[in-house]
Amino acid sequence: MARIFRLWEKKRGDRRTGSQLVGGLGEALFFGILFLLGALSLAYLVVSRLFLAAPQLYQPGFGFWVMVLVMVSFTLIGGSGVVYTVLQVGTSAERRSAIALRAADIDLLSEALATQREFPTIPRDANLTNSPGIRLAYRLPVTHAGPWVLFAATAFFLVWNSITAVLVMVAVRSHMSQRPEWLLTLFVLPFVIIGIWATYYFFQQMLLHTGIGPTTVEISDHPLVPNCVYRVFLSQAGRLSVRSLELTLVCDEETTFRQGTDIRTQRCRVFSQRVFIEENFRIEPSAAFERECELAMPANVMHSFRAKHNAIHWMLVARGEAQSWPVFERCFPVIVYPARMSRERG
Amino acid sequence: MEPLISIRIRDPHRRFQPGEELQCEYQLDAVDARDVLALEASVLWHTEGKGDEDLAVQYFERLVPADVEGRDLRALRRLSTVLPNSPLSYLGVTVKIRWCVRVRAFLRRGKEVFFEQTFVLGELPPARAVAGDEVAVAAVDDEPDDLE
Repeated sequence: MARIFRLWEKKRGDRRTGSQLVGGLGEALFFGILFLLGALSLAYLVVSRLFLAAPQLYQPGFGFWVMVLVMVSFTLIGGSGVVYTVLQVGTSAERRSAIALRAADIDLLSEALATQREFPTIPRDANLTNSPGIRLAYRLPVTHAGPWVLFAATAFFLVWNSITAVLVMVAVRSHMSQRPEWLLTLFVLPFVIIGIWATYYFFQQMLLHTGIGPTTVEISDHPLVPNCVYRVFLSQAGRLSVRSLELTLVCDEETTFRQGTDIRTQRCRVFSQRVFIEENFRIEPSAAFERECELAMPANVMHSFRAKHNAIHWMLVARGEAQSWPVFERCFPVIVYPARMSRERG
Repeated sequence: MEPLISIRIRDPHRRFQPGEELQCEYQLDAVDARDVLALEASVLWHTEGKGDEDLAVQYFERLVPADVEGRDLRALRRLSTVLPNSPLSYLGVTVKIRWCVRVRAFLRRGKEVFFEQTFVLGELPPARAVAGDEVAVAAVDDEPDDLE
């Protein structure tokens, strides 16, 4: 009885400690009431408009259509909620997965997705092998947070400094009119300090994004398989006095989980192997840094994996430290297949 | 008294390679035949760890009394399936992938019982978090029970 009527229960993601049946009934009741509320109100609204002398609010116009929109949304959310809950109750996770698998199989019948069926949960590498390299077979696409960081820095710089400018103007005007607002002046000071930092950070990100030349990584074959050797080519352009530039093969675990109402993502590095490091050299616009070397894939490592909430990513990371520049890092994702694939190939 | 579900995987080591066939027997006991509404047997992988759970079935079979002779779902049953190339069993730091045979029985009054028997697909060593540039892949552990 206590299990059914407990006031609080633990919940993590889709898992919870309470009775699933009672939870399902509660959900169905909630959505059912929402559906009834929406449907009855909508019916009343339409009937009163057509046959009765409707109150002012329900006369055709802005208010009437807003009410129709709200009631229709209640009906749709409530109705779909009831159907979804009924489908969930009494159906095991395995059965739902089997139904989803059968639906996915219809899509996977095409030859283009045959690898997806042969290696389930391993991401396809079509986007990684559609760009041929100059030295080696494939040029790998780069993924890094640079543009997003620059966008965020620009937005913060503009918004913060606009607010600060208005506050500074009001404070300066008060001083010029011989009626100084000391409280406002003190209040503005932290705004100005943060504004200066935002300006510095914005210009740093802009220089980092535009000043350091492009990094290119090419690879002799793809996807990668454990215990095989590949050729890798790295090119770094720009005008830089480089302290160090290194290329590393890394593997990250990525998990997505719900914490309260937030969805959080956590990354954990479980493998890191340096491919090469070069120190103290200069890069000129006329002569980009170029280096070709071997990449020996380790044996007995996990393959790439991607599911809805968990993933295992492999990538080549180029990390550079240059004089008068902040550290820059550029990531080139790769797909790793299970070791068995290498035996088949061999 | 709780119903009993027993699962026996043919290979006593419970270690398989991709493409190998998994054979297993399962049986439901200590319950009246009329109380069993349905029986589901599946071979599946699921994740454990910090992230929300992912799950996918490789083999799935659902039986109701009308599907079997004598309308008795308690008889010994066998299943076999060819295991896929991926995902392999994996003991990571924040992500763990486990394979198992799971049998779930649906009883009267909305009651459900299930039991699962884990097995290992592939032979990957456990991983651990790295600091700096050191390679951090631990040695191979031969005991399949580590995955349970």
